[in-house]
Amino acid sequence: MELTLVVNGKPWSGEVPPRLTLADFLRDRLKLRGTHLGCEHGVCGACTVLVDERAMRSCLMFAVQADGQQVLTVEGMSRDGAHSPLQQAFLDHGAFQCGFCTPGFLASAEELLRSGRRYSRSELRERLAGNICRCTGYDPIVEAVFSCQS
Amino acid sequence: MKPSPFEYERPESLADALQVLATYGDRCKVLAGGQSLIPLLAMRLAQPEVIVDVARVRELSGVDRNGSRIRIGAMTTNAEMERRQDMPSPASQALPHVGHFQIRNRGTIGGSLAHMDPAAEWPALLLAMEGEVTLQSVRGRRALAAADFVQGPLMTALADDELLVEVTLPTDGRGAGFAEVARRPGDFALVGAACHRARSGRAGVVAFATGTQPHRLPRLEAALEDGVPDEAELVRLAAAELTVGGDIHATAEYRRQVGARMVARAVRQAWN
Repeated sequence: MELTLVVNGKPWSGEVPPRLTLADFLRDRLKLRGTHLGCEHGVCGACTVLVDERAMRSCLMFAVQADGQQVLTVEGMSRDGAHSPLQQAFLDHGAFQCGFCTPGFLASAEELLRSGRRYSRSELRERLAGNICRCTGYDPIVEAVFSCQS
Repeated sequence: MKPSPFEYERPESLADALQVLATYGDRCKVLAGGQSLIPLLAMRLAQPEVIVDVARVRELSGVDRNGSRIRIGAMTTNAEMERRQDMPSPASQALPHVGHFQIRNRGTIGGSLAHMDPAAEWPALLLAMEGEVTLQSVRGRRALAAADFVQGPLMTALADDELLVEVTLPTDGRGAGFAEVARRPGDFALVGAACHRARSGRAGVVAFATGTQPHRLPRLEAALEDGVPDEAELVRLAAAELTVGGDIHATAEYRRQVGARMVARAVRQAWN
């Protein structure tokens, strides 16, 4: 199946099997291995990426469903080698230990921040419930995202 | 690649989509937002020969209000509905509970209803609000009442060649309530309830995630015609009428006790 999309600002065009998930396409075809696969059925949130500015599970999408769309992964978040404000906040707050869940959290939080809405800490905690972290206990993650709200 | 191989069809019009369904029948599966279907494919619980992606069928999108009804295209995502200010209650109350927001960004009203998970919110809302679904095939178009559409766990009145094209809900309710318990916000409910007071004054009360399918509580609904009983009586009536089952997530006894409280909460909200 013919697929044309933009990943991290770069256009890509080619043939993919329809059963290839967006997550496997990103990792195996484009070698963008920052998108992590945990449960592979939509529960853990590790593979979350932004598709047309909305956070989505890349394991619950076939690559062909992203045809004509813009995908942003963790690799596309930094600019000229500098971390995004959100990535920097994760570093400053120690919002990860093993880092496996981090790309998914960054994608989810990025949509929340781009909405321009100001969330309370408890609202953020609820909104981020779709991403699982087994290291941090979530406090530093919530603090990092909270600190990025202007 | 986890799903077994399938042919992929992406029709660009309703007519083409219906033609594909007519050709393949039970050998194909419709892909809407994919938030329920793709896990089933990944675990190979579903292995259709053909996947029909209806994302480009323009006739399935769009929402419009017409008098006392709102018509919602089957491919409308939960996120789109959550952002609207004109969704009728209890749907507006339930939407933030429909999966996590990342799931709501893709999951659709039509997909949820066609999938008919016993723990999902939409089937319960459709039943409580006495909504209607429109099904279409090359053979024609028919509108079905909620009670006729919902047939059991993962079972609906959809024929193999039919597509769910739109959902119609009333917007002139007098009151509504919604309550559920889930381990994390956005997870599938362990128990839940929805209540909708129609313009006629009659209440639709539904429990979901309690057993094999969402169901109304007709005796409680009849009792409510004389007004809302006190809390103890409300909980007793609800508990007596709940169909419950136990699994690794919650025991049947838990579902009866907590489910009855959720029903009572939804009813009280509808009269507030």
